[in-house]
Amino acid sequence: MILQHNKKMEATIVALEGRMDAITSSDYEIKMKGLIASGERNFVVDFEKLDYISSVGLRAILATAKQIRSRNGKFLLANVHGSVKEIFTISGLGSIFPFYDSIDSAMAFFV
Amino acid sequence: MIKIEHLSKNFGTLSVLKDISIDIREGEVISIIGPSGTGKSTFLRCINLLDCPDGGSIHIEGIDLLDPKTNVPKIRQKMNMVFQSFNLFSHLSILENLTIAPIKLLGMNKMEAERKAIDLLKMVGLAEKARNFPDELSGGQKQRVAIARCLAMEPKIILFDEPTSALDPTMVSEVLSVIRSLSKKGLTMVIVTHEMDFARDVSSRVIFMNEGIIYEEGPPHQIFENPHKEKTKAFIYRVKSFNYHISSPDYDLYAMNAEIEVFCEKQILPRKVRQNLILLVEETLQLYHSYLSKVSLDLTIAYSEKMDSVELVFESTGEEIILISSEPGTDEFGLNIIKNLTEEIGYQRIQDKSRCTMKLKKV
Ligand SMILES: Nc1ncnc2c1ncn2[C@@H]1O[C@H](COP(=O)(O)OP(=O)(O)OP(=O)(O)O)[C@@H](O)[C@H]1O
Ligand SMILES: [Mg+2]
Repeated sequence: MILQHNKKMEATIVALEGRMDAITSSDYEIKMKGLIASGERNFVVDFEKLDYISSVGLRAILATAKQIRSRNGKFLLANVHGSVKEIFTISGLGSIFPFYDSIDSAMAFFV
Repeated sequence: MIKIEHLSKNFGTLSVLKDISIDIREGEVISIIGPSGTGKSTFLRCINLLDCPDGGSIHIEGIDLLDPKTNVPKIRQKMNMVFQSFNLFSHLSILENLTIAPIKLLGMNKMEAERKAIDLLKMVGLAEKARNFPDELSGGQKQRVAIARCLAMEPKIILFDEPTSALDPTMVSEVLSVIRSLSKKGLTMVIVTHEMDFARDVSSRVIFMNEGIIYEEGPPHQIFENPHKEKTKAFIYRVKSFNYHISSPDYDLYAMNAEIEVFCEKQILPRKVRQNLILLVEETLQLYHSYLSKVSLDLTIAYSEKMDSVELVFESTGEEIILISSEPGTDEFGLNIIKNLTEEIGYQRIQDKSRCTMKLKKV
């Protein structure tokens, strides 16, 4: 999995690419922990280029969401589509998160 | 009519027929099916003594075929064989192909033999080719002539070894319909064939041979609709399978996925099926994760071309594993995914093995 982040005024955008599975999900968690520790509060996760997610990935997403919310931060998911969206839905996690269909619409949340 | 007991045959160190026993009654039509190289042709050739058995006994209408005093050519008149490759005499006309043996072996006079030959050629729809030579006929026509020639000897038993395998697909049905009509005349027939639909509706009994034994036998509806044993199922449902052994919690997920992908590609499974399969395997292995340091696990993925279905079997050896418990606190997302991707989940405990089978939902 490739992870990139891009700090904007209102939030940090974290872009996921490739596969988020039993092996790569820990990379995501480490990265997020680092960003949270460095004081970032609001996040938008960009799923545009993610092809695959398993329940390990879903749990990692949920865990970071909880951490951020406990710090009164915001955690938004954007561009969740295709089979990844389907997996969110069938796992039961889909209804917990609102999905934003673009980075812009997620960012609009902060203004 | 034919009684075979403990028949065995080796070619050098290769044991081709292992211990075959069967009773074939008069008027029965028996189809023999099974994978290539399993000994089907050898079995027929042994019945006809074209190959000499190494052990066991064969009785035809009470006569011991392996008794040196037995008149084998005489028995062969009663029991004739039709080959995949027709084996017509190319230098003789079609008519002569049919009359030569009755004249020479049965002592029939020429006129009578020819009259009979013409009748038989009519029966297989080839009376107008009587004066032609084999080279002037199509494959399907040659095979029909070969069947007529076989009938000219008035056999009680006919052995067919893949009578349609050498034919163009367009000519298969003309030959099968001739054989079908014979089955209604009370002839005893043993037919080795790869034509499953034909075997299903022509036979009174079907024998599935595998690795030199009669692995399963039964009426056609059993063998084709409801085979009881594992390898019969795999053969009938045209199952292709893939195995992967997992012996530690640090198994290589990507190496396994790559192999699953290759398997799916070979079976030309759609992308969506592949994705679901890989997800289902990962999710299930997550449930096994805490056990993987204690038990070893074998994953089998079986694809049935005929049923267009994918089945997964996770078999662990060692302590019993309760994979999906309803206790709270278990991995809910994983379980939801598994439930959504499968049509059926089953468990079995056999001795020290726990088996979990899943049927992938169709997409
Ligand atoms: N004359 C021979 N000498 C040595 N090995 C032989 C001989 N005839 C057959 N075999 C071997 O015996 C095995 C069974 O062959 P057989 O021809 O009976 O198989 P089969 O079930 O008829 O297969 P297929 O469906 O391909 O016709 C094969 O491994 C074959 O190579
Ligand atoms: Mg053969």
